[in-house]
Amino acid sequence: MGVMQRLKNRTQRFLQRPGTTVDLAPLQKVLPEIEALEDEFKELDDAALTERAAEATRVAEIAALGREAARRALDERPYDVQLLGVLAMLGGSVAEMATGEGKTLTAAIAAYGHVRSGNGPVHVLTVNDYLARRDAEWMEPVYKLLGLSVGWVTESSSPEERRAAYACDVTYASVSEAGFDYLRDQLVTDIDDRVQRAPATAIVDEADSILIDEARVPMVLAGAVAGEQDPVHVAAGVVRGLRSGRHYEIADDGRSVAFTTKGLEVVERKLGGIDLYDDEHVEQLSAVNVALHAHALLHRDVDYIVRNGAVELVDEMRGRVAQRRRWPDGLQAAVEAKEGLDATAEGEVLGTITVQAYIALYPTVCGMTATAVLVGEQLREYFKLEVAVIPPNTPCIRVDEADRIYATRQEKEDALVAEITLSHEKGRPVLVGTLDVKESESLAKALDEAGIPCSVLNAKNDDEEAAIIAEAGKFGAVTVSTQMAGRGVDIRLGGSDQSDRERVAELGGLYVLGGGRHHSRRVDDQLRGRAGRQGDPGASTFFVSLEDDLIQRNAPDAIPASPRMNFDGLVTDEQVDYAVEHAQRVSEGVQHEIHRNTWRYSVVIEQQRKALSERRERVLTTDVAAEMLEKREPEKAEELKELDEDLLPRVARSIALFHIDRLWAEHLAELSEVREGVHLRALGRLDPLDEFHRAAVPAFNALVPAIEERTVETFEENEFDENWTPDDNTLVRPSATWTYLVHDNPFGSELDRLIAAVGRRLSSGGNN
Amino acid sequence: MLSAFLSAFRTPDLRKKLLFTVGIIAIYRLGATLPSPGVSYGNVQKCMDLMATNNAGGVFNLLNLFSGGALLSLSVFALGIMPYITASIILQLLTVVIPRLEQLRKEGQAGQAKITQYTRYLTLGLGVLQASAFVALARSGQLFNNMCDQFPIVPDGTGIPTWVTLVALVITMTAGTGVVMWLGELITDRGVGNGMSVLIFTSIMARLPSEGWQIKISQGWWKFFLVIALVLLIIFFVVFIEQAQRRIPVQYAKRMIGRRMYGGTSTYIPLKVNQAGVIPVIFGSSLLYLPALLLQFYDRNNLNGWQSWIQNNLVDPTSYIYITLYFLLIIFFTYFYVSITFNPTEVADNMKKYGGFVPGIRPGKPTAEYLDYILSRITLPGALYLGVISILPSFFFIWLDRQQYMNFPFGGTAVLIMVGVGLETVKQIESQLMQRNYEGFLR
Repeated sequence: MGVMQRLKNRTQRFLQRPGTTVDLAPLQKVLPEIEALEDEFKELDDAALTERAAEATRVAEIAALGREAARRALDERPYDVQLLGVLAMLGGSVAEMATGEGKTLTAAIAAYGHVRSGNGPVHVLTVNDYLARRDAEWMEPVYKLLGLSVGWVTESSSPEERRAAYACDVTYASVSEAGFDYLRDQLVTDIDDRVQRAPATAIVDEADSILIDEARVPMVLAGAVAGEQDPVHVAAGVVRGLRSGRHYEIADDGRSVAFTTKGLEVVERKLGGIDLYDDEHVEQLSAVNVALHAHALLHRDVDYIVRNGAVELVDEMRGRVAQRRRWPDGLQAAVEAKEGLDATAEGEVLGTITVQAYIALYPTVCGMTATAVLVGEQLREYFKLEVAVIPPNTPCIRVDEADRIYATRQEKEDALVAEITLSHEKGRPVLVGTLDVKESESLAKALDEAGIPCSVLNAKNDDEEAAIIAEAGKFGAVTVSTQMAGRGVDIRLGGSDQSDRERVAELGGLYVLGGGRHHSRRVDDQLRGRAGRQGDPGASTFFVSLEDDLIQRNAPDAIPASPRMNFDGLVTDEQVDYAVEHAQRVSEGVQHEIHRNTWRYSVVIEQQRKALSERRERVLTTDVAAEMLEKREPEKAEELKELDEDLLPRVARSIALFHIDRLWAEHLAELSEVREGVHLRALGRLDPLDEFHRAAVPAFNALVPAIEERTVETFEENEFDENWTPDDNTLVRPSATWTYLVHDNPFGSELDRLIAAVGRRLSSGGNN
Repeated sequence: MLSAFLSAFRTPDLRKKLLFTVGIIAIYRLGATLPSPGVSYGNVQKCMDLMATNNAGGVFNLLNLFSGGALLSLSVFALGIMPYITASIILQLLTVVIPRLEQLRKEGQAGQAKITQYTRYLTLGLGVLQASAFVALARSGQLFNNMCDQFPIVPDGTGIPTWVTLVALVITMTAGTGVVMWLGELITDRGVGNGMSVLIFTSIMARLPSEGWQIKISQGWWKFFLVIALVLLIIFFVVFIEQAQRRIPVQYAKRMIGRRMYGGTSTYIPLKVNQAGVIPVIFGSSLLYLPALLLQFYDRNNLNGWQSWIQNNLVDPTSYIYITLYFLLIIFFTYFYVSITFNPTEVADNMKKYGGFVPGIRPGKPTAEYLDYILSRITLPGALYLGVISILPSFFFIWLDRQQYMNFPFGGTAVLIMVGVGLETVKQIESQLMQRNYEGFLR
């Protein structure tokens, strides 16, 4: 970093300007010290090294011991830049490290450091189960040399395995698995059923993905309620034949859909001539509404896939199947009905926490990713995390070409196939990232017709992922993938054995082609990052069409009416270049706005959850419930005491816990109801967020007396003897959902509306 | 309300926010009383007295009210928050005309930040313009209707070249505008309430003591207390009406499967009785300023027929034609403004889009018609209320037999603004207070 650059960075940081990152200079000063310790530690035998590792306190010692342990266990001596990453993460920052720079090892040494600094236990949170297990097993020898125990948790782990894993110094788990364990622990009725210890330190892998993209996703613990299956299937049948434009209209942003008058008539006739908006038909109305949503907005092979007779959601950010994620509020059942499958039981929300709130429970948070700077502002706003940009060990020499923009989707695909053919003939490996499952299959078909063999990797065959990716860098390989290839995978030139490495490198290395711009620049950058690993040669080009959803949804009016283009349909118009960038920025802005809104509304719920869980903890661990009942119902309490000394506390605790959980679930349902319509308050010049608090706070305050009342009531109404066991209020398997998001103030401020009205008048005046 | 403030002071971070806001207000008031370089403070005081004794309501009275009296004394913050407000409105208007701005707005926070930056530049531009204009007016004496030409506000012969003084004045006032803008943003970001509103509120409040005292001096204690009592009564009435709303229940049909219903009690559209707020009053009074402005071009002491008719019927706030016209204008603007800012069709469409409906009424057009029906009926009492509150000052003038209270801070506009901002700010404090009340919750 030049002097000028450093000076500029410092001023910017002083002014709290965006785009500032952690100053690496102080960290770099530690490196010689680490180097100096290296020889000393090399002398030690394994046992002595482990012994020494238990005594380390200074960061230099920690880094040097980590380096030595990695050298012995993995035969890999961590580079200086990796140790810089360790130091940054020990300082509580998010380290930005390019692909292939060894983030996993860096995280392991940082985890060791955090345990040594007394911040243990450390949870390493990954994006999925596969990575959790792979990384834990891969790093185990290193941890062993450093004298730490390590464990991992996946979906199939049993409670005992989970407890054992969380008892380790370092635990690897996907963020949703860890979050679910937390939620389940919040609902135990016996203190010994807990699996987690108090949260201490989280090291977040793919930090931008988890902390920003997924932050607003609520993890939901749901219990089954007996739902009627019938209206779902009936409704699916009713909406099946409806057509867009005629029977229903889809909003420009593609997020909502509504019946037209014509469509309503058809639906009502099919349902037997009823008035859907009559009080008694509310249930049918809900059913046809979700059925329409499932019919018109959710597309097979884009939003979900059907595999083994079940609907599985596709994560829009990662292109993978989202494990155990469900749509909320009957939508899941509606999609299942649409596909002619049996609808699964409707869930009632028992407990919920957003990823963001869950991460906030950890006193210490740090992380690593290849794309952090672009979300630096948001990381600072929501998590008070700074970004440290770690330079690559060998500079990246990948060539990123300008986008090639085509007018139509067909022209884009043709050009893509031509470009692939060109490279393939030379034998240069090509990785194509497509926007969704459907596109990946259509491209594969086109390549097949052109006589080019290719491997397809998408949500449908994600179990073969590791094998396909390992060979993507082979001579002559063509791999078509959804953006799932974007993260956590490492493509080595010349295939897994790197036999052809030199030949492939001479051809220019891996060539990454994007089938379109993604929702955010970070996803694009992740895809580009597959090429040019550790100083390898490589190149990347994105092929965009003006018919892509991103542009159609976000910048339809920014495209000039007749852009300049070549004969083959390649658009060469500066205004169009701008429009594409603009569309992506709009999409990023919308995501950010939704994130911020969700967060603002979840703050109060999170506080309430904490307050109630404090109370629950007391009921669980002490005899407050029994004392309360003794005061309210002395006679009956005395009776129970005479039967068995332990009976009263046991009964009281079970009843109280049951009602706490029950009322909390009802409270959550009520709040989500309020949340959905609270934006309407803006019409009365009221602030929706303030109004939400106004509704949420009194409702919560009424919760505690209600819990007590209901506990007393249950106690009065039932008979208890020594053999009494808690009612069978078993909880079903937890499931995650995503939520509907309603814009906070879709009407805009009063001034906005005034201006819009003026604008309408101006433009209609211009037409006349 | 008082208890809200008290408990707010017991919550550490809210106390910090409140004290911060008070601190900013203090700085703002200090700047509003600080004379700019080159302005003769003594002459300003003399001119003010002269104006007070001569019952002369100047054209710039309303602006002077909004700047807390800083304008006529050409203080550092003479221009107040008005250039910032004007700039915001201009940029909002420009987004309709310039596609690039519209696109920026759509890009969310990052784009919005750029627009805010443009607003700031425009504010400074407007600051230079307005500062130059007022300095010129002050030099020529027109700022005080040429009534105190014998006491020049920016006196010559100080040994400093006049142009240097004038340039320094303009620079000072423009810089003051920038500082006021910053103060407003600071309140919005780190204090309580909306910065612009709070500063206007402060300015109006700042005028209360001196104007009140004027009444005491000219009318005596008895009328003074009577005025105070009346004003309190009006404030009570205004608070009452401002809170009044009709709630139209709305149900969302998307998510009710398998869950008990909450009867739609929590989801509703609040239609306020005074759905239009203070805007119709500002529109109405601005329109009635036009005749007064027109007469500025003629010699006051030598008006011909139509000119004196205007003077007697359209400029004099105690004339019955003026009062009636004002009243009718406000009723018109109330309906006009409500029809623009509350578009029943748009609201109905939005509800339909997200699966909401008014129980018993079909979505789309029937809902829009229903909303329109309710709205036009609730707007009538709202319009009458605004009209009555606005013409009350005129009756004060008749009763007190003085014209100078034209925009006195007890008048309709001022009371509406004060109550509006007050309510909004207290609500915000309350809401923040509620959020923070969980510490030590449930022992």
